[in-house]
Amino acid sequence: MDSMNILSIFIQTLVGGIGIGSLYALVALGYSMIYRSMGLVNFAHGSIYMIGTYFGIIWYRGMVMGLQVPYPIAFVIGVLLNAILGLILERIFRPLANLDLMLMLLGTIGLGYVLDNLAVIIWGAEGFAVNSPLPNEPIVIGGVALLPQMLLLITGSALLMVGLNVFLAKAKIGKAMRAAAQDRETASAMGIPVNTTNALVFAIGAGLAAAAGILAAPIVYVNPAMSAAVGLKGFAAFILGGAGSIPGAIVGGLVFGILEAISAGFISSAYTKGIAFVVMILVLMVKPAGIVGEVTVDKV
Amino acid sequence: MSLEIENLVMRFGGVVAVNDVSLNVKPGMIRGLIGPNGSGKTTIFNVVSGYYKPTSGKVSFDGKVISGLPAHQITALGFARTFQNMRLFKTMTVLDNVLVAMGHHCKTNLWQAMLNPVAVQREDKMLTEKALHLLSLFQIADYARERATSLPYGHQRRVEMARALATDPKIVLFDEPAAGLNEKETEWLSETLLKIRDSGITIFLVEHDMKLVMGICDAVSVLDYGKKIAEGDTKTVSTDPVVIEAYLGKEEDL
Ligand SMILES: Nc1ncnc2c1ncn2[C@@H]1O[C@H](COP(=O)(O)OP(=O)(O)OP(=O)(O)O)[C@@H](O)[C@H]1O
Ligand SMILES: [Mg+2]
Repeated sequence: MDSMNILSIFIQTLVGGIGIGSLYALVALGYSMIYRSMGLVNFAHGSIYMIGTYFGIIWYRGMVMGLQVPYPIAFVIGVLLNAILGLILERIFRPLANLDLMLMLLGTIGLGYVLDNLAVIIWGAEGFAVNSPLPNEPIVIGGVALLPQMLLLITGSALLMVGLNVFLAKAKIGKAMRAAAQDRETASAMGIPVNTTNALVFAIGAGLAAAAGILAAPIVYVNPAMSAAVGLKGFAAFILGGAGSIPGAIVGGLVFGILEAISAGFISSAYTKGIAFVVMILVLMVKPAGIVGEVTVDKV
Repeated sequence: MSLEIENLVMRFGGVVAVNDVSLNVKPGMIRGLIGPNGSGKTTIFNVVSGYYKPTSGKVSFDGKVISGLPAHQITALGFARTFQNMRLFKTMTVLDNVLVAMGHHCKTNLWQAMLNPVAVQREDKMLTEKALHLLSLFQIADYARERATSLPYGHQRRVEMARALATDPKIVLFDEPAAGLNEKETEWLSETLLKIRDSGITIFLVEHDMKLVMGICDAVSVLDYGKKIAEGDTKTVSTDPVVIEAYLGKEEDL
């Protein structure tokens, strides 16, 4: 009986880890796609995720002119607004992609701060909890209690990841992205509008980050500081999985989320961050290219 | 549909790589562009294909000025090229290298890609067949699924040519396609270039292999230190004392 209990706690922890891991994975995908197509590590991506969360949740919570918008519609609005923000940011980043790595990093970090400060000015430094649009009573399956919102986060993220993979594999954009990342000049000689491709990548990355943030908002706490917390973990997942690899970002995110949940559940929540990062460093020592190691970008 | 280069000047800091060059490439011809190392041949290609904006002068195609347009737009107008230092997409298969160049002929757009996957699949299949056909013309279809850079050097050159043709060009700029090829491969290249021309595609050819140039070009322009020093049919050019001097001065044989 007791072992049964431990097993169900373990499964519950695992599912929680997969949920948070999906969030990290969607954020890591943004890092990965931009790195893949532009050779740029976008340290502002955590802030883009945070802004995207607000872009959706402010409608859901009636923070815009008192308008109370249903969750699914708020979700779509948030994703679209953030995709537009992505397009604008790509225009700002475009000149950075040709600079050396140091200036590039500084530029993205600076932009991240600007976005964080804007969020504080517009929505305040104080955060808020968000009510789930779904019932708050956990669904119990075989002794494992799962929050409906957690299941929504997991299924929603899974659908987005599958959709993205199908899109990149089928549509010409996937090949164009790879080509542009490897050799910008040759890609343009093959008729690929490299700037347009990059803009699309930024828009998709920002849209995915918003989707992740809005799906996770009822589980985590929403405040401007979440840009640093989740941004860092998304970045770690991106490195862990293999910089620039799309499946790598997904695997990295899930591994990170699960590690975090297990160390919080079975060791101590005080060590969560530490344990996850130690594992990341160990993995990179054994396999410097990351879990799904694939050299996609020659530069850097 | 002729390519006109008028009074082209390209300066890099103090270096005048191309100095007031005018020349044209008429439809259906093979125009050779020769000259000693560093005489500005590749630079002219880079200007024509949109990598550099000329310091002065202009390039037009079919009466329309193209200098200053972004490279992908110039490609869309019917230009393709190969590179002196071969620039295949290293991590892609031979087939993907060719497919990438067909992108702008895709009829399905972004929305259809998401809403009508069947149409996309049909188109992907059609493009793949077209790409394989192209590869078979270059006798490399057997390598379609292999990583492009794992092929022997001569075959990589063929992939680059197939990729250039995949954009469905009206004119192709070949930058030293015979470099590194053995005699047999060069012979094959020469036949292939003629076949390409006979299929209606205009060719602009930079090449150091004089046997090849003299064998297939309809007209040749000669550069030295960025300036055009001679022009005409192969016979006139190969016997021109100015040309011989330019090459001998640099201890190369014509
Ligand atoms: N991007 C650049 N920046 C500075 N100088 C350049 C650049 N591109 C070319 N040059 C210079 O312009 C001159 C012409 O070079 P180019 O590559 O056009 O010669 P080429 O005729 O193609 O020579 P080769 O036969 O060796 O390929 C050279 O002196 C070269 O160093
Ligand atoms: Mg050259």
